[in-house]
Amino acid sequence: MSELIKMKDVTKVYPLGETEVQALRGVDISIKKGEFISIIGPSGSGKSTLMHIIGCLDVATAGSYSLQGKDVNKMNENQLADIRKEFIGFVFQDFYLLPDVPAWYNVSLPMIYNRVAPRERKEKAISILENVGLGDRVNHLPNQLSGGERQRVAIARALANEPEIIIADEPTGNLDSVRGEEILKILSDLYEKGKTIIIVSHEKYVAEQGKRKIYLKDGRVDGKG
Amino acid sequence: MFRGFLIEILRSAIESIKANKLRSLLTTLGIVIGVMTVIGVMSVISGLKKNVATSFSQLGANVLYVDKYPWFSGHRSREEWNKIRKRDNLEIKEVQALKEYGTSFKYVSPLIQRRLNMERGEKEAPEVEIHGTSEDFARIINQDVNLGRFLSKDDIIYKRHVCILGHDVVNTLFPEENPIGNKVKIQGRQFNVIGILEERGEMMGHSMDNIAIIPFTTMAEFTGRRRRSITIAIYAENEEEAREEIRWILRSTRNVKPEEEDDFSINSSEAMIQQFNQLTKTIFLISIAIAAISLVVGGIGIMNIMLVSVSERTREIGVRKAIGAKSSEILGQFLMESVVICLVGGFLGIFLGATLTKLISIMSNGNLPFHIPIWSIFLGFGFCCSIGVFFGYYPARKASKLSPVEALRYE
Repeated sequence: MSELIKMKDVTKVYPLGETEVQALRGVDISIKKGEFISIIGPSGSGKSTLMHIIGCLDVATAGSYSLQGKDVNKMNENQLADIRKEFIGFVFQDFYLLPDVPAWYNVSLPMIYNRVAPRERKEKAISILENVGLGDRVNHLPNQLSGGERQRVAIARALANEPEIIIADEPTGNLDSVRGEEILKILSDLYEKGKTIIIVSHEKYVAEQGKRKIYLKDGRVDGKG
Repeated sequence: MFRGFLIEILRSAIESIKANKLRSLLTTLGIVIGVMTVIGVMSVISGLKKNVATSFSQLGANVLYVDKYPWFSGHRSREEWNKIRKRDNLEIKEVQALKEYGTSFKYVSPLIQRRLNMERGEKEAPEVEIHGTSEDFARIINQDVNLGRFLSKDDIIYKRHVCILGHDVVNTLFPEENPIGNKVKIQGRQFNVIGILEERGEMMGHSMDNIAIIPFTTMAEFTGRRRRSITIAIYAENEEEAREEIRWILRSTRNVKPEEEDDFSINSSEAMIQQFNQLTKTIFLISIAIAAISLVVGGIGIMNIMLVSVSERTREIGVRKAIGAKSSEILGQFLMESVVICLVGGFLGIFLGATLTKLISIMSNGNLPFHIPIWSIFLGFGFCCSIGVFFGYYPARKASKLSPVEALRYE
């Protein structure tokens, strides 16, 4: 399989008042297309920072990062936005749905920025929701849905632009174990269908889902899974 | 597909305004008041202008009135006024000079006006505007007789006691009969009614039909020994040309030295309208200034509420950016929102302004016609859009510059 993500000696430094915080201190990672990766580590280990950089929400201070052969570090803000739009779908711990609009509209949101026609947007949003088992919830507002349902809406939203990579940041963190299992099931189904899945978590049973694990400790990769 | 995106951000703007109805309404109040003022003032002025224009045109288009005094005083010092007061009176001989030498105008009539009571038996028409004039006057002011005839040359020459009555006078003195051939009294002197004037209506709330026309030669009986200056009414197709000629003729007959100013004034309804426009311009500018202040205050309100909105929706901005929104798209979304708020304010303002104008029009008994110039509506909307963009830009830019990571982390 081809290399999808290749990071070499990536560091990230945050300014913090007078001093600096080194969140990543030289990370080397390579991920192939269609892998299921867990990034594991205690809090403060740099998991989130790494996830943000992989997801092109943030750029590394130093080091190289290529995504499908493109040098992400050299990209400007608009190019990063395009990469996020086309290649990456995010699932967050707190779902981050827009509260005032129905589930289908939340799912259709990424397609707006992809300039998909309105009718097509709605149809596609509904069909994705059906795929994650929410066919009867399309017109519900987020506060009318349970936590598990909300996270499924969020996954549906992540899938809207048919991205190559799904990045899930503690996707089960706010769910009980049963709902959590359901979410993990959906993610592993997506893996079966060929998507590249990256889960970031500090919970062992979540991390166990990954076919390969990357341990982070103090901003460095601690051995290879 | 850009159009689709525009529709989408418009929709999202409307959603967000709907979610904060009261807040948006209060925010937009400044804009509402500003636009309402603009529309209201413009409509009233425009209605007034229309009214004045039609009223003045009843004085006769292309009619020049030569007078001792100017109709409008303008800004003159006491000295200038004294000079004007000392001018020689205009007399009949000047009418004759104008008739004799004038080439650029056809009709010249003297005009002597007095307010006198008219009687017929027990009935009395008070304060009738008596015009002493000549046979050409009807053509000068373009007013026909409805019934009977106008003055003739002989009426003037033989100083006949004949009169032509306006509509109001007829209604008062002859409510039920044909006045022609009947007699009326002016200050004890008997006059034969020979004609009735066409109805002319009102000018600025003042009836134009409370008049009677008699020969100017007969009028002299009422003016007594004290000599008054007369008015000379002239019909001129080319006003500019006629003015020059009138000045030339009058200056030479009145022996005005080359270095001296004219010792008479040539007035016209055109000039009166111009004076009036000058006046309304001032009112207009003052009210625009007031409106501008309230629009700026409104704009600051919009900026404030947009800043609140941006900080409330920091998370949303983070999410939108995470799923691929560009900075420019976030900027567009928030700009659209402030423009929509302003436009809602504009709509309300125009509606309230129009209602206000309508009310004023009704209360003035139609003296101020209801008239909203279309361009004032466009101007109102244009203003709103500009304010939305101008005051919405800073908050929108702030939103668009948020880093996605920071925005997502925001609690």
